[in-house]
Amino acid sequence: MNMIWMLLLISGTAVMLFTNPDGILKAMLDGATGAVGLAMQLVAMYAFWLGFFALLERTGAAGLIAKILRPLIRFLFKDIDEKTEKFISMNMSANLLGLGNASTPMGIGAINAMNDGKKAFATTNMIMLAVISATSLQLIPSTVISMRIAHGSTDPTAFLLPCIVSTVSSTVIGILSVKLLSRALGREPKTRRGREKRAKTGGRPLPLGDK
Amino acid sequence: MGWTAYIIPVIFLTVLLVSFFKKKTGYNIFIDGSKSAISLMAQVFPFLLTVLVAVELFRASGVSAAVANFLSPALNLVGIPAELTELMLVRPLSGAGALAILDNIFTRYGADTYIGLCASIIYGSSETVFYVSSVYFSQTKIKNLRYAIPVSLAATFLGCVLGCLLMRFFL
Repeated sequence: MNMIWMLLLISGTAVMLFTNPDGILKAMLDGATGAVGLAMQLVAMYAFWLGFFALLERTGAAGLIAKILRPLIRFLFKDIDEKTEKFISMNMSANLLGLGNASTPMGIGAINAMNDGKKAFATTNMIMLAVISATSLQLIPSTVISMRIAHGSTDPTAFLLPCIVSTVSSTVIGILSVKLLSRALGREPKTRRGREKRAKTGGRPLPLGDK
Repeated sequence: MGWTAYIIPVIFLTVLLVSFFKKKTGYNIFIDGSKSAISLMAQVFPFLLTVLVAVELFRASGVSAAVANFLSPALNLVGIPAELTELMLVRPLSGAGALAILDNIFTRYGADTYIGLCASIIYGSSETVFYVSSVYFSQTKIKNLRYAIPVSLAATFLGCVLGCLLMRFFL
């Protein structure tokens, strides 16, 4: 992530130095302003969905959903406890319903539940969850459909079938690759001492690094 | 679209009714749950801002368009129109940025052309890979995601190629 971030910034700055030096700072501050606006929207979303999920949890609905999804989750994730399972099932169902913003707090909860605080490497289970979320489970892309309607499409859902094929196959390819890679690479890397030290002394931890 | 509009309201109503009949204090439960939203955002926010600053510069500088230009012959080979390279490039980085590009494509080429339909597939079937991966791990000390990002990107890409290929049969 560090590499990608650096690459984006260095190439952007270098090019703009020649084409439009005045625009560099403006572009970056635009990005920052955009992040604040997005954060405001997201806080509202998070608060609503966390409240709603608390209701799901206390009424027993969350347990029910976890039970329905259990066979699938047990197949995808090895040796997870009940709390993790609940978070994962909530995360998946929110993703399936196209509520990307609602699934984020559940995804964070699931990763936290799988984490023992000592790891410097993501475990196979964590990678599985990240890949499943990142390859998108959303079956009805409502944003695109409303955008197409706004642009006067005569058949706003014409792309739906290929789109579903695309998203399902990407998720299946992702799951299979994680399964294969985790097997091919054998045991999960142990936390190396050097890395652990860096993680401790490095101040605010970054989630992605070195690679 | 029709029936899909009912899914979430029906779930919501059901949960409210269940909590009413189980004599749970829904009011307090909801407050309890939503309490953590601000502290959650406080931890997620630095990641959000850091990524968006870089992405905005990448787009505004025209580098993304240049890289897109460079990559488009290769994408054309697998059936993705050259006009969509920038969308594919920005999609995993920023949802809002990709939406702006999608809007642009619809305006320029129309929503019902092959290009417009392919763009819909690319946007609709993928996620902001980098955002998901960095935010999910934002509360842990885990720095190394190993193969999570490459696998996500490759799988998304193959899915898009397949979707665009299939779209040809519907025209």
